[in-house]
Amino acid sequence: MAYSDKVVDHYNNPRNVGSLSKEDPNVGTGLVGAPECGDVMKLQMKINPNTQVIEEAKFKTFGCGSAIASSSLATEWVKGKTVEEALSIKNTDIVRELSLPPVKIHCSVLAEDAIKAAIGDWKKKHGVEVPVHEKASH
Amino acid sequence: MTTAPTSTTQSKTMDYFAIFGLPRKLWIEMSTLEQKFLQMSWKLHPDNFVNASEEERDLSLKRSSELNDAYRTLRDPVGRVEYLLGIEGARKEGEHKQQAPPELLEEVFELNESLDELREAKAAGNDLAALKSRLEVAEKNFQQKLGEVDAQLQTVAREWDTALQADSGTRKKIMAKLNELLNRRSYIRNLVANVQKELL
Repeated sequence: MAYSDKVVDHYNNPRNVGSLSKEDPNVGTGLVGAPECGDVMKLQMKINPNTQVIEEAKFKTFGCGSAIASSSLATEWVKGKTVEEALSIKNTDIVRELSLPPVKIHCSVLAEDAIKAAIGDWKKKHGVEVPVHEKASH
Repeated sequence: MTTAPTSTTQSKTMDYFAIFGLPRKLWIEMSTLEQKFLQMSWKLHPDNFVNASEEERDLSLKRSSELNDAYRTLRDPVGRVEYLLGIEGARKEGEHKQQAPPELLEEVFELNESLDELREAKAAGNDLAALKSRLEVAEKNFQQKLGEVDAQLQTVAREWDTALQADSGTRKKIMAKLNELLNRRSYIRNLVANVQKELL
């Protein structure tokens, strides 16, 4: 299967690879995985508690090119957005941007889940109520 | 010998358990299954269809390959569970319903990081002994987990077998457990395979 140019670009030059301190109260960590292919994706965001703006985003993904590209793109997109804006990112947006084929759609779902999980973790640290099952009930 | 047309139309909708005349139970007596398989394969053997019409020959060939698939699937304890969940509509491939086992993810992630380190150290020509021994420990640990998951699968499979007549809620709960165990298993298996590849 051929990857789209954008996937190849993200794969070769992944943006924002790395990690942030899990202990930092302003950092939300989302760790998600796809059993279908054994992928695992970690996405972290540093969020300004006053403005709710995502100031930094890092990821590390073990998986196929599409999973790496999806998470790389997700970090690019969430940076500078508010928490609410980031939560509105849909996996279909990622599919469109990266021209993912149907068999790789689950990679984009994973990236969306990772964003939601990271924000959920951050909200939990700040005692904000989150609908617990929101991210899990596709 | 010839095959009655009704049995062929049936075979299209017959699941692998039904092909062998078995209930949808997860515990299967292997020797019985093998015996049935041999008997049925023998009946479908091309030699028995030398004088049959072309249509009948094609049909026997088709049923024979179906029979082989059914045998191969049911013979494998894990494949059997996967198949059962598939026909019961509890596991659909490619749907993002599949949830990853959360308590495993952390370990999976760390192990993958160690694997990365090993690859980098290999490429840089560094000393690998410490990394390798760490990975060997991790591999043992995951092998053990695999054994645990298999034991759990067996327990829940027995639960399923005793609940064949139970209400759909109970059955769904058991299937959810089986599904989760299968997910755990595929994760762990991939990991073990990756670690083994790097340790070679």
